[in-house]
Amino acid sequence: MALEFDRSILGQVFDETDFPPVDKEDILKFADALGETNPLYTDEAAAANGPHGGLVAPPTYVTRLRPKKMTPEHMPRFGKVGFDGGRDVEIFAPVRPGDALKMVSTIHDIYEKTGRSGSMYFIVLRNEITNQDGEQVAVVDHRIMQR
Amino acid sequence: MKTVYFEDIEEGDELPPIDLLLTKDFVRKYAKTAGMDFPRFTDDEGARKEGLPGMIAPGVLSMGLLARLISEWNQAAQITRIGTTFRSPVVPDCTIHLLGFVTQKDAERHIAECDIWMENDDGERWAIGTATVLLPTKDA
Repeated sequence: MALEFDRSILGQVFDETDFPPVDKEDILKFADALGETNPLYTDEAAAANGPHGGLVAPPTYVTRLRPKKMTPEHMPRFGKVGFDGGRDVEIFAPVRPGDALKMVSTIHDIYEKTGRSGSMYFIVLRNEITNQDGEQVAVVDHRIMQR
Repeated sequence: MKTVYFEDIEEGDELPPIDLLLTKDFVRKYAKTAGMDFPRFTDDEGARKEGLPGMIAPGVLSMGLLARLISEWNQAAQITRIGTTFRSPVVPDCTIHLLGFVTQKDAERHIAECDIWMENDDGERWAIGTATVLLPTKDA
């Protein structure tokens, strides 16, 4: 049986956030917090000779951008409790110091899965990130699981 | 820079594993750095009030560590896609193991597909995922 909900909520923008310019120190701290030793993320001088011609953020830096509204005001509820089910990140361009990033968030998908412990519901929030040049930087799909 | 070229990898190649003592301080530091300093990620007592057995690590930390697995294997690799599923709460103060291998090579685009996961000492996979990685070539 197909899950019943108002399908018009799919694709509706529930948040648009403009972030302050990416701080070089914030990139370095983020890389350090993950224990990264790759000079592309940790060493400005070495990174200058690397494939990006300068320091870039580790790929999961885009998951650290917190929009004004993490979830829609009228977040659909199918279960009693919610969990962070996972993330899918597609990366198109690196994040560099000074980038002014913008994130647009929508409810991308809602679906149901039946497993050993019964029905689980997944709500996929899509965050599309662009930079000051209008270049697509990343798409982060956040799967919220409810049961 | 530690570089692994596309020509040098084979399907089935294991990525050099990382064993890491995941301490509460490590988790707290990540949570604070990532703007996620909520009780569930920083403090046992606060986490218990939320119905958890104690503080846990954010899922995105597991994901970040799995990206580090790729980055330590090959510093010149570019991750173009990484997807992870968080299968069970990650409770700190234990050793975790980051593991992976190359599942597929795409010779036209110089891309490797990898399976990646994080497991505990008992081999329980707490986070699983896949990554698409663009590798440098010797021709370029």
